[in-house]
Amino acid sequence: MNYHWDWGVFFKSTGIGHEIYLDWFITGLGWTIAVALVAWVIALILGSLLGVMRTLPNKALSGFASGYVALFRNVPLLVQLFLWYFLVPDFLPESLQTWFKQDLKPSTSAYISVVVCLGLFTAARVCEQVRTGIEALPKGQSNAAYAMGFTLPQVYRHVLLPQAFRIIIPPMTSEFLNVFKNSSVASLIGLMELLAQTKQTAEFSANLFEAFTMATLIYFVLNMSLMKLMGWVENRVSVPGLIGSNGK
Amino acid sequence: MTAMIQLSNVSKWYGSFQVLTDCTTQVAKGEVVVVCGPSGSGKSTLIKCVNALEPFQKGTVLVDGISVGDPKTDLPKLRSRVGMVFQHFELFPHLSITENLAIAQMKVLGRSRDEAHERGLKYLDRVGLKAQAAKFPGQLSGGQQQRVAIARALSMDPIAMLFDEPTSALDPEMINEVLDVMTGLAHEGMTMMCVTHEMGFARRVADRVIFMDQGHIVEDCTKEEFFGAPRGERAQQFLSKILQH
Ligand SMILES: Nc1ncnc2c1ncn2[C@@H]1O[C@H](COP(=O)(O)OP(=O)(O)O)[C@@H](O)[C@H]1O
Ligand SMILES: [Mg+2]
Repeated sequence: MNYHWDWGVFFKSTGIGHEIYLDWFITGLGWTIAVALVAWVIALILGSLLGVMRTLPNKALSGFASGYVALFRNVPLLVQLFLWYFLVPDFLPESLQTWFKQDLKPSTSAYISVVVCLGLFTAARVCEQVRTGIEALPKGQSNAAYAMGFTLPQVYRHVLLPQAFRIIIPPMTSEFLNVFKNSSVASLIGLMELLAQTKQTAEFSANLFEAFTMATLIYFVLNMSLMKLMGWVENRVSVPGLIGSNGK
Repeated sequence: MTAMIQLSNVSKWYGSFQVLTDCTTQVAKGEVVVVCGPSGSGKSTLIKCVNALEPFQKGTVLVDGISVGDPKTDLPKLRSRVGMVFQHFELFPHLSITENLAIAQMKVLGRSRDEAHERGLKYLDRVGLKAQAAKFPGQLSGGQQQRVAIARALSMDPIAMLFDEPTSALDPEMINEVLDVMTGLAHEGMTMMCVTHEMGFARRVADRVIFMDQGHIVEDCTKEEFFGAPRGERAQQFLSKILQH
């Protein structure tokens, strides 16, 4: 291949203000993290609620949660994003519509759309993990808790959820990483996150390979760090005497 | 004598399958009743009807005069007054022994942390495990876990204790340490309903023995009558099988 590699490109001026290309990547990484973290908080809270609902004896509540999961898991993420960004705002009340479409900066409205979309999409996946975790616990655990006089909310709060969340840390780690990877869809509605900045760098500088190598490297390091973080969390909350607790 | 636990004509179905048929019996205050019978005969189901862990469709269950099946009954409150010990211990594995002993006292009875810990440790000492207070359930042997489970139930100051095969999941060498604790309780006058196949225990401490078969209570008599001359053929077969060991 007759390609002229130039790793110095990241320190060259972009021609816009005083920015060098590296600044673009840093801004992009900032947006990626901002999207993923907020979406993850939404997913974690909503998904846990839905996961609990799926295990409740109440048919209406568990039915609602199953319907939610079916809906959000079976429509492609990108389709969901376009719906949230292009369609849903049109159904908002007049005043909210003008606010969303005209008063907000384009990057802000794109940000809101992608965070809501990714949060609700991931919530469906978190819901299934939480449900699996709760269902994996022996029936005797909730029986014992009820037998001591716990109410249903107390059974979940003190007995089922603390155990379920420990069990599901490994699959939740991959959901957590998925949020970061999936956040790249934001580039398709014009949010300048990491992938969008990479494409822009490639176009402006013509150093396509360097740009994408850099993006690959950043995503890789980011995800490895998140895995380490989750491993640390798992260790922190591990229970002595249980399988997988490293004997601590 | 007033019955602490009174079951009258209790029947229960799982769909069309009848698990319990017309079960009537009672446990008086301070009485120890042993429930035995072949596997699948409905012993666990019956004992779980006492604290409403299992709902039933017909009949009444009274605990200290309060109707368990009455929708108006405050079930958590009623359950908090009845201790239950399970075959598989069911300690909460994510909590230390001290926390296992204290949590329901704090969350259900509203006791302060200090008071709950103090009481928990008192009962832990009673079952001979005070040294294990800081450990987690997974670090104890089965027999130790079951003794902690008994201490946990006792620290709620129960008016009666239910046991569902408390020694069936234990290695033989650990059975006695649990039975000893139960015997001590019985001698102190605790009202007890015990599903168990430990006939030695029944002979030593039971006042009455109930024998169940296919959801029916087929024998309900004093232990002298039961071990002397059980009337039913099924009970005789069951006894001869179980006493061979
Ligand atoms: N949740 C359930 N659904 C359907 N059948 C059940 C359920 N739980 C128990 N049974 C059946 O009820 C019968 C009595 O069970 P159980 O009370 O556990 O018996 P035991 O404790 O005497 O061994 C058994 O035949 C069992 O298969
Ligand atoms: Mg049983």
